[in-house]
Amino acid sequence: MHHLDRLIPALSRGVTLLAVMLLVGLLPWISGRDPAASILRARMGDQNPTPETLAAIREQLGLASGPWEHLTQWLGGLLRCDLGTSWISGTPVLPGIIQALGVSLTLMAAAFGVALLIAVLLCWPTMHRGLRGRDTRSSGAMAATLTAMPEFMLSALFLVVFAIWFGWFPPYGWQGPQHIVLPALALGLPGGGLLGRLLTNAIAATFHERWIATWAVAGFTRGEIARAVLRRSLPALMPQIGMIIVAMTGGAIAVEQVFSIPGLGRAVLGAASAQDLPALQAGILILLLNALMIGVVANLIRLALLGRALHMGALPVPQVHAVHASRRAWLVPCTVLLILLVLVAAGLPRDPFTSQFIRLQAPGLEAPLGADGLGRDVLARVAHGAVSTIGMALIVTLVSLVIGLGMGLMPRLALGPTEVTKATPPTIAALIVVAAMGPSATGAMIAVCAVAWAPLAAHTAALVSEVRAQPHVWLAPVLGVGPLRLIPRSILPAVFWPVLRHAMLRLPGNALALAALGFLGLGPRPPSSEWGLILADALPYVERAPLAVLTPVAALALMSVLGVSLASLARR
Amino acid sequence: MTFLSARDLTVSYPGPRRFLSRGPLSQVLKGVSLSLARGERVGLVGVSGSGKSTLLRCLLALEQVQGGQILCEGRPVEPGSVSALRWYRRLVQYVPQDPIASLEPRMTVAQLVTEPLLRLRVDCTPARRAEEALDSVGLDHRFLMRRPDELSGGQAQRVAIARAIATRPAFLLTDEPVSGLDMTVRAQVVQVLRDLSEAHGTGIVMVSHDISVVAALCHRALVMEAGRIVEDRPMADLLRDPQHPHTRDLLNAAPPMTAAA
Amino acid sequence: MAVMPALHIETLDVFIGAQPILSGVDLSIAAGERVALLGESGSGKSMTARATLGLLPPQARLSGRITVSGCDVTQAVALARPANARPAMVTQDTLAALNPLASIGYQLERPLLRRGRNRSEARAEALAILADVGLPEPRQIAARCSPELSGGQRQRVCIAIALACAAKVIIADEPTSALDVVTQAQVLKLLDRVTSVPGGPGLLFITHDLHAAAHLCDRTLVIETGHIVEAGSMQQVLTEPRHTYTRRLIASAASCGIACERLYA
Repeated sequence: MHHLDRLIPALSRGVTLLAVMLLVGLLPWISGRDPAASILRARMGDQNPTPETLAAIREQLGLASGPWEHLTQWLGGLLRCDLGTSWISGTPVLPGIIQALGVSLTLMAAAFGVALLIAVLLCWPTMHRGLRGRDTRSSGAMAATLTAMPEFMLSALFLVVFAIWFGWFPPYGWQGPQHIVLPALALGLPGGGLLGRLLTNAIAATFHERWIATWAVAGFTRGEIARAVLRRSLPALMPQIGMIIVAMTGGAIAVEQVFSIPGLGRAVLGAASAQDLPALQAGILILLLNALMIGVVANLIRLALLGRALHMGALPVPQVHAVHASRRAWLVPCTVLLILLVLVAAGLPRDPFTSQFIRLQAPGLEAPLGADGLGRDVLARVAHGAVSTIGMALIVTLVSLVIGLGMGLMPRLALGPTEVTKATPPTIAALIVVAAMGPSATGAMIAVCAVAWAPLAAHTAALVSEVRAQPHVWLAPVLGVGPLRLIPRSILPAVFWPVLRHAMLRLPGNALALAALGFLGLGPRPPSSEWGLILADALPYVERAPLAVLTPVAALALMSVLGVSLASLARR
Repeated sequence: MTFLSARDLTVSYPGPRRFLSRGPLSQVLKGVSLSLARGERVGLVGVSGSGKSTLLRCLLALEQVQGGQILCEGRPVEPGSVSALRWYRRLVQYVPQDPIASLEPRMTVAQLVTEPLLRLRVDCTPARRAEEALDSVGLDHRFLMRRPDELSGGQAQRVAIARAIATRPAFLLTDEPVSGLDMTVRAQVVQVLRDLSEAHGTGIVMVSHDISVVAALCHRALVMEAGRIVEDRPMADLLRDPQHPHTRDLLNAAPPMTAAA
Repeated sequence: MAVMPALHIETLDVFIGAQPILSGVDLSIAAGERVALLGESGSGKSMTARATLGLLPPQARLSGRITVSGCDVTQAVALARPANARPAMVTQDTLAALNPLASIGYQLERPLLRRGRNRSEARAEALAILADVGLPEPRQIAARCSPELSGGQRQRVCIAIALACAAKVIIADEPTSALDVVTQAQVLKLLDRVTSVPGGPGLLFITHDLHAAAHLCDRTLVIETGHIVEAGSMQQVLTEPRHTYTRRLIASAASCGIACERLYA
């Protein structure tokens, strides 16, 4: 029994990876789409398919078989490095994917450089204060604000400001170094913000450890202390740093789309919208492999940093004591909420669907924020979008809370799914969902749910193991309290409120993830007035009607600020 | 008349994990035997890592033993479900080391003390019995509605004792019950334990690394070293004439003792 | 002034917010002198240690005067103090007191390098100090990290670091209360030995353990709620306590089995 216990985490990981492979391999079959019809439509336009031509194509591609033969065929192909043949072009998908991967990796390397630079700038003041023995705690407002800006929104903003208004950089393409600046910034800023915030907190916590005092007293130089602080802070962060980089691959899809960069993300997105499932399968597989590799590398770096301390079991985790919240801290979220409410109140009675104005009409009395490319009222669309985006995000949040709590209560069994899901950006989940059931609002919600539960489950699991280690829980059997009664008596009460608060903090993030999917065409379909979709609709007219782009960008930014300010309140 | 006995208990844990393999097993208990009579006050003394806390966990049926057997009034005791062990839990209760952390933070003192009465199905009026128990450790009804974070260390330890004696057990197993407390509070807790034992004939096992605290309370001492009991004698004999070298180390380290006088 | 005290504290007040933690603490330790600060938890004895070391929490305010080896360090935090005005520190939580990722050898050699030794001298001297504090096989210990050692071994390493930086005074805050009695006795014996060599450091021994204090110290101060309520020679305070708080401490020790009057019998 003890041996089985030990094996559960490894089994859980293995089974999860296998399940993901099966899911990707069976995508064409799950989608229920007739590949022959897709191919015919792609190759011969609107020609009416006859049963004979369809059968001929099936025969030609060996598609007449059932799901299992298909799966074995696909897996067999994988072993020979053959990822299949595109349904659209009829050529092997691998060379194109490799080429696109090269572009994406270049972009990601540049973006990671930006992120590192930002992170260093953000944690510099904390390091400086710590080495002089001053209070290392900081509000982290700057870092938090950067973190909350979704990549697709930053891309749109940079496109408007730096490429269109100032003309400093080319708006799209992938020809030279000047093409890499804006995308790398859009991709690197949020990641750098998060990295900087994590590093700052970790460094601040490390400076609260007593050995700093021992070293200070023993006359170590500031340089030696700074190096030791970094080495002490980094190992615990490595998994999260890996995850930030993985999240950048998800963000890269949107950035590549906005700046028309021929990278992997755009290729996969194109394959998804054209229903070219072999190309999509290959792309998703490469993205997942990439995530796996990043995780492995991050872990190796962690092991190298820990050195021989790795075998010592649990190292003490640096803790930082909370700062008392000032009353003014409530001012920011309340103001933002008020602005959002006013926007909704002003726009909700208006009609978001009818084309009642001239296309791209300038703002005026009857349309305070102007009209979009189809002559629809921007104010009405943004207000209705707020209701639908936030409503969907609320549902997603509650569902992921329930799943997260449930999975977190059986931490060892849920280890594999949690790890794999935490390393999956919502965009990749959405690609799988879209491939299986086509783009829809429900699909987007399923995709975000499918990944949003993992951090909550990880949080729950951490709290559960913390609670179980406490004397009042392990001595419960002596008092006649059995393992089942323990859950409502001690475990749920200790876990529920912190996890609920955590889930609610993620609501704005979920809203932004849904908006990102809408923006990429993986979510609600037109004419729905979802925020991401509004932004995507307006982007082609950015030069003539920048306000139609900036309004949803501003709304999204407000949402981000709301999320961040709430999060910082809860952290205190 | 033996109440609780253990014979040849062995417990081992896997050592620290090495790369790709498990480390060697480390034996924490190497064949420990003891017997406890009703009403006896026994000290279990040893340095940290000598296995005394593990032995206590075995006696509490919280630890799976690899060898040996525990008998309580002739019935075998081993880890199992709550219902299978109810009879034993009523007879043998536990006072932990860290009093505040061992009380569920969301429950009131009244709930804490009645919980074992309800769960172990003790035949009594729980509220009355809880008040009696609290009364006997010197806490009055004003404490009933407090929660653990509103108690001092000494008060929390008294609540933990009240909870343990509420089922009127024959034996209390205590793990370093005073080591985290200040000297003045320590004195109060030792007094409470002594009074209880004398008033109700409750037996006490006190685990401690500090022989002076044990000497102030117990009649008999068991000295543990590296997973074995190396000396088992009446307290006064042990203080006067320690046999085992390890016992002499422990005594040399301890301050001059009042009980020996 | 004939001999400059290693540590001198004058009318030290510490506030956290509006709450007074220490009020008017006076304390002076000459080189080689061993002084106990007795008190229960919450009495302000650890705060005295932190103020002396320059490790007060950032929100604390202090007034008064702290001089270490004649150097005024009242408002200076540990990292901002000159090298000769840093008291060494030995604490209860030995795991936290050492960097868990750096080897013991590294943490011992650095202060020696700072004192002008070259690399090989520093290495040899570090091993010598480890052997001196009673650690067998110093070479192996030097290669290890602190989580690999036992609590008693770590406490010896902390004392070794104090020796390596040749501090004029050691602040020992409850150095034995996390250890079992046998290890406690060994650590006390070690502290006794390193402070009794000629030219050795002074010691401020902060504890609630009357017995340990009596073993080690010549002089004692008793602290209650931030005030020094009694001061005098160790024997005098334990055998003829004047303040009611001191009497209560001694009576409690007696009912826990510790006979203070017999310490000096």
